[in-house]
Amino acid sequence: MGLVGLELYKLRRKRLFLMVILFLAVEIGWAFSATSISISRNPGSAGWEALIAMMSSMNGLFLPILTAVCVSRICDMEHKGNTWKLLLTLSVRRGALYAAKYVTASLVVSLACLIQAVAIAGFGFMKGFEQPVPVLLLLRFLLGLVITNTGVIALQQWASMTAKNQAFALALGMVGGFVGVAADLFPQGIRRIFIWSYYTGLSPVTQSYASAHIQFVVRDMGSLLPVMVALTAVGMVVYLAGSVYVSRQET
Amino acid sequence: MSEIIATYNLSKRYGDACRVKNVNLSVREGEIYGFLGPNGAGKTTTLKMILGLTRPTAGRVTVFGKGLEQNRRFILSQTGSLIESPSYYGHLTGLENMRVVQRLRDVPDRNVEEALRIVRLEKQKDRKVAQYSLGMKQRLGIAMALMSFPKLLILDEPTNGLDPAGIGEIRELIKALPQRYDMTVVISSHLLSEIEQTATSIGIIHEGMMLFQGSLEALKNEKLPTILVKTQNNALAQELLARKGYLPARDGDFLAFENLGDDQVAMLNRILVECGMDVLRIEERKKNLERIFLDMTGKGGSL
Repeated sequence: MGLVGLELYKLRRKRLFLMVILFLAVEIGWAFSATSISISRNPGSAGWEALIAMMSSMNGLFLPILTAVCVSRICDMEHKGNTWKLLLTLSVRRGALYAAKYVTASLVVSLACLIQAVAIAGFGFMKGFEQPVPVLLLLRFLLGLVITNTGVIALQQWASMTAKNQAFALALGMVGGFVGVAADLFPQGIRRIFIWSYYTGLSPVTQSYASAHIQFVVRDMGSLLPVMVALTAVGMVVYLAGSVYVSRQET
Repeated sequence: MSEIIATYNLSKRYGDACRVKNVNLSVREGEIYGFLGPNGAGKTTTLKMILGLTRPTAGRVTVFGKGLEQNRRFILSQTGSLIESPSYYGHLTGLENMRVVQRLRDVPDRNVEEALRIVRLEKQKDRKVAQYSLGMKQRLGIAMALMSFPKLLILDEPTNGLDPAGIGEIRELIKALPQRYDMTVVISSHLLSEIEQTATSIGIIHEGMMLFQGSLEALKNEKLPTILVKTQNNALAQELLARKGYLPARDGDFLAFENLGDDQVAMLNRILVECGMDVLRIEERKKNLERIFLDMTGKGGSL
């Protein structure tokens, strides 16, 4: 726990939180204006489901990049000033530092997701949606994001820790953003192997094009549960592999 | 005096290249141990193995009489170090960098202030380290190593990047540490002059092998002096002596002999006299340290 505190201390003056807020402002602004337009064209579709589905598909584009940037900022500072050896000679174990960085990145990205959920509730409230705030849906929305982040952060951290040049990790994040936004167009078999497809894949609301109109369907939790469990397991495997790999390196 | 660091046949191999070969290093309590060698001789690799940053290919290390593998945490808690280039978080201020180490070391605020005062960074402590000069970063690194006032301080090329005044200051600081804070200091350098002025004991490493270990005095006495002989006819004397197995070199008006013991000098004189050759002078020329290093490593005073 002390090490996580230390990581947060080391993030001072990095303006990481400011960056997260600005990034979210763009994403949320975009999602809300798109939703507003669709509501004004089609007042009947005004509802929480449309809003959550819109935010989920935006997340497919934005969160992989946001995650890549956050993780890179947290990891890169050890490369820049050669501080690995400093920390190691202060009895910090590599595995413990890796874990602290993972927890810190998870906290930052989770905070961003929480802000989204609050913003969704605020927007719906302002727009005067008829139904009350769907707390359960928002919680499922958050759960899906957190589980997807588990894997994406683990992957990004491995990249950021191993390759000193952060361009590699950031490029990986961009590829993720592309896959995340295009995932719904892939056939299901292919979609499943990309971790970034689960921003929409684990969303509690999905869009259905069965009829001429777009319909928003609330997914059954039971059908998502096995995917969530499997994805969490994949995330943990990637984390462990990265941690072991980095722990074996020598300075 | 107990032994603070001991290595036993310590070796490190990277691929086919052997960077450190069977090094038996011994540092005693209260010493300032100067670890001297040319660039790439294996100094940093050896120090990294002592700190557990790099795993030895063979051999073992004990620090404070304890095996490194099993007691790494304890050993590191009693050891301050600065290895290679200084480590720092450029986006944080000098003081914030010190706080990072302070949290991990768990030492009181006064240690931070004292360490900053010793390296004279107290006025610059609120500037971002990215704006520091190399010398200031080096001082910050020394302050971080000193912060807990450890029993053992390992400084790898601590005067890199410092100006002459700074080098002088750090030299005086290092000299004072054993008495003032009861520390044992290991300092590595490729500069003979630097080590000569601070170290009480030295180790010379070259191409991964320890060539000499002991006091400076012992090093000066290690090599026998050159014997210079002047005769009536040097050319004839040289020919005469060559038949007896002596192989002198011509050195101005003298014949120069290396590695002669007293008996051999007496014998040489007798040969010449018995052949009717007048010996005008027999002189002894002590080698200076620089000459000794040159002989040992094939490089000049700047190793």
